[in-house]
Amino acid sequence: MNAQRLETSRLLHRFGFGPRPGEFTQALQDGVAATRTRVLTVPAVDAGAATVVEPEITDLGPRPKPNTKEIVPFAIAMRYQSQQMVMWWLDRMAVSDHGLTEKMTWFWHGHWATSIQKLNYPLPMFKQNKTLRANCLGNFATMTKAMINDGALQFWLDGQDNTLKAPNENLGRELMELFTLGVGRYTEDDVKSISRALTGYQVARSSGEVTINEKRRDKNPVTLLGSTTAFTGDSLADFLVAREDSAQFVSERLWYRFISSTEEMPKSFTVKSAFASRDISAAVAAMAADNSIRDEKYALVKSPVEWFISACRALELTPSQLKTPAQLINYLDKLGQVPFSPPNVGGWPAGEAWLSSATAQYRIAFATWLIKQSDLQILKSMTPAQRVVKSADWLGVAEWSARTKVALRDAQKDPAQFALLALCSPEYIVSA
Amino acid sequence: MDTVTRRKFLKLTTGAVAVGAAAPLLSIDEIAQAAIDRPLPAGTPILVVVTLYGGNDGLNTVVPYTDPLYYSSRPEISYKADQVLPLDAELALNPAMKGLKGLWDQKKVAIVRGVGYPDPDRSHFSSMAKWQTASPAKHINTGWLGRWIDTQSEDPMLAISLGSVLPPLLAGAKRSGSALPLGGLVIPKGALAAQCAQLSKVSKKDSKLMAAAATSMRNLFNVSGNVQPVLKAPAPVDPDLPTTNGGNAGGDSNLAQQLDVVSKLIAAGSPTKVWSVSLGGFDTHANEANAQAELLGVVSDSLTRFMGQLKSTTRSNDVTIMIYSEFGRRVVGNGSQGTDHGTSGPMFVIGNSVKGGFYGEQPSLKNLYKNDLAVTTDFRDVYATVIEKVLKSPVEPTLGKWSGRINFL
Repeated sequence: MNAQRLETSRLLHRFGFGPRPGEFTQALQDGVAATRTRVLTVPAVDAGAATVVEPEITDLGPRPKPNTKEIVPFAIAMRYQSQQMVMWWLDRMAVSDHGLTEKMTWFWHGHWATSIQKLNYPLPMFKQNKTLRANCLGNFATMTKAMINDGALQFWLDGQDNTLKAPNENLGRELMELFTLGVGRYTEDDVKSISRALTGYQVARSSGEVTINEKRRDKNPVTLLGSTTAFTGDSLADFLVAREDSAQFVSERLWYRFISSTEEMPKSFTVKSAFASRDISAAVAAMAADNSIRDEKYALVKSPVEWFISACRALELTPSQLKTPAQLINYLDKLGQVPFSPPNVGGWPAGEAWLSSATAQYRIAFATWLIKQSDLQILKSMTPAQRVVKSADWLGVAEWSARTKVALRDAQKDPAQFALLALCSPEYIVSA
Repeated sequence: MDTVTRRKFLKLTTGAVAVGAAAPLLSIDEIAQAAIDRPLPAGTPILVVVTLYGGNDGLNTVVPYTDPLYYSSRPEISYKADQVLPLDAELALNPAMKGLKGLWDQKKVAIVRGVGYPDPDRSHFSSMAKWQTASPAKHINTGWLGRWIDTQSEDPMLAISLGSVLPPLLAGAKRSGSALPLGGLVIPKGALAAQCAQLSKVSKKDSKLMAAAATSMRNLFNVSGNVQPVLKAPAPVDPDLPTTNGGNAGGDSNLAQQLDVVSKLIAAGSPTKVWSVSLGGFDTHANEANAQAELLGVVSDSLTRFMGQLKSTTRSNDVTIMIYSEFGRRVVGNGSQGTDHGTSGPMFVIGNSVKGGFYGEQPSLKNLYKNDLAVTTDFRDVYATVIEKVLKSPVEPTLGKWSGRINFL
């Protein structure tokens, strides 16, 4: 496989959501080094992202009683705002000129996986999304502090039920296991201790506003991971994130989502040392330059949202303009991935989990629906005989296999059918 | 709603995460092929577990319609005595459950009253985890049927859950049940089918994941001549149903769809002893337009239809259906959010071999336990009975030493 095409393809698909028409060709001309620098350099202003209008997500207040006339407008507003929020984020992913910010926000959403299904209010999820975006390439300790104070996360993990009298271990355990250290890097006694240190948080569910109720707070020192301290939320975040295990864990998670969910992380992976200062952008930059990004062995399956957004970019579609948003969410749901609704606190699965015959079926139906809504201008601008070769550049595919070329050639006179096969090809579903 | 609620629940443990992510996904043709190659021996008992996600309001399912306290406790949401379907002088079924009432009259329905576990937990997630793991005191990562699967010889067809995500119920320590996503989509035909078939050829140069992507598409088309009849066949027809949509045919719903697939595959002889289906949406805090009655109607209609479909197979006497929800709801209808998750509720066990009638004590509305219905029957009594009588297996490997049994089989 052509090394430059492979690396360029990976840079565009993994550190963003794939190329728009022409972008892959441009990147090949620029060369790998320049492409890497561009992919990693977030511009001060993103004109594409700026075109996405922020939805009005409001505090919907307490849920009215059942069977009252107030429940109907409440339920309508809830559904409408939740849908608007999903569309807003999908649009940002699809139309941003620079992909890294949304890609990292998406990564962190799967990391601090919180679902609106328990919250049942959009505003706290919207606030959390902004917190993740603001910190997505910043300092991991700062992010962890912000997340301990995040209403959606606190509510999701029963933080508001964690009190001096009755500690609830849900948040404390996950904070160590899934968010900062990794499983097995603490004891059950540490879980008890950290849970005591996290008591007293109160969440206004409809707004996500977090306060601390001093009466419910256990202010005694606790012994956590060998250190006896009276922690605050902030000092706890600093303490956890400073541990070596935290650098190890974050590099493992980055490896899993950006390099390979199937192969083990080699010791040579340079991200852990680059993360010494807990600067996320340094870790991401190291990852984009690591040898693994050039190694054919490390293929990665695009998750349904990643596949959908890259298809939108290729077809120049804006998610919120698709008919209809409800149908779009339904397709994503069938494929098993709707933003703001991860299946559990562990986030979405990866790899072969997205490659069942059921998803193959849904993907074909989804792609057919998308293609119908695109004018396919880019494909029509190529002569049928050019389409097989040029479509690899259009989609940012490193190389079509012989098998796929045969299928595409067979459909080269029919742009819609051609696009369908290309988008559902193994080479496009998998980031080679 | 259904998958959302199930996924919502699957948040509960990281153990379930690992298992859920690794659950084998079956395709319907794989099961159909197995049904042809090695059908379940005739007469083998089959368990169908129906999970109602969200906490079904037991008091409005099996209604104490002659108890004045029922009416005074929840004046706004109680059913009038002349609306309900009386089962005896004290209890009646929800008006939407006409189909189940018919099965009750045929003595095919056991209603176990006041079922729950000690120290009821009002979180959907925790309470459903307790029910599915059958471990109310200590959190564990295996489901009770998953532990039963562990005791059986390995077979991906042994226990199948409908839907793309596997519930922890079927997660064992060594093995777990399989998930069968509901299809219902049209497989490409004609030129496109040929081109897709071309795309699905595994190439020598493919990476492991690319080969898997190709294979996933190939499986889609991999419906052999042998399997096709099973897939294409309509669901078995209930001989008692009128040919047009009869009163008890019910509207289409996801549960009905799931049970259609189950009845087809049971009829075809799938080597499956446990089926898991589910319906979500019972979290009726927001009881918009009698959501519960609508859902109970779906449960009643789809199960009645399912029982009818089984009649035209040779296995109608082999199937036992068990229905549960993670908790009942509060006695007093106060309507404010978050406070109306309750404690115990009724369980239904249905089948031709079931001894119909009431089991367990009806929780008193007068002597409430911390303002909630008391738990009068431990769910492990029901599970133990099912393990012994339906799955013909010893109880201990699954539930430990548990002595309670209920005589409904």
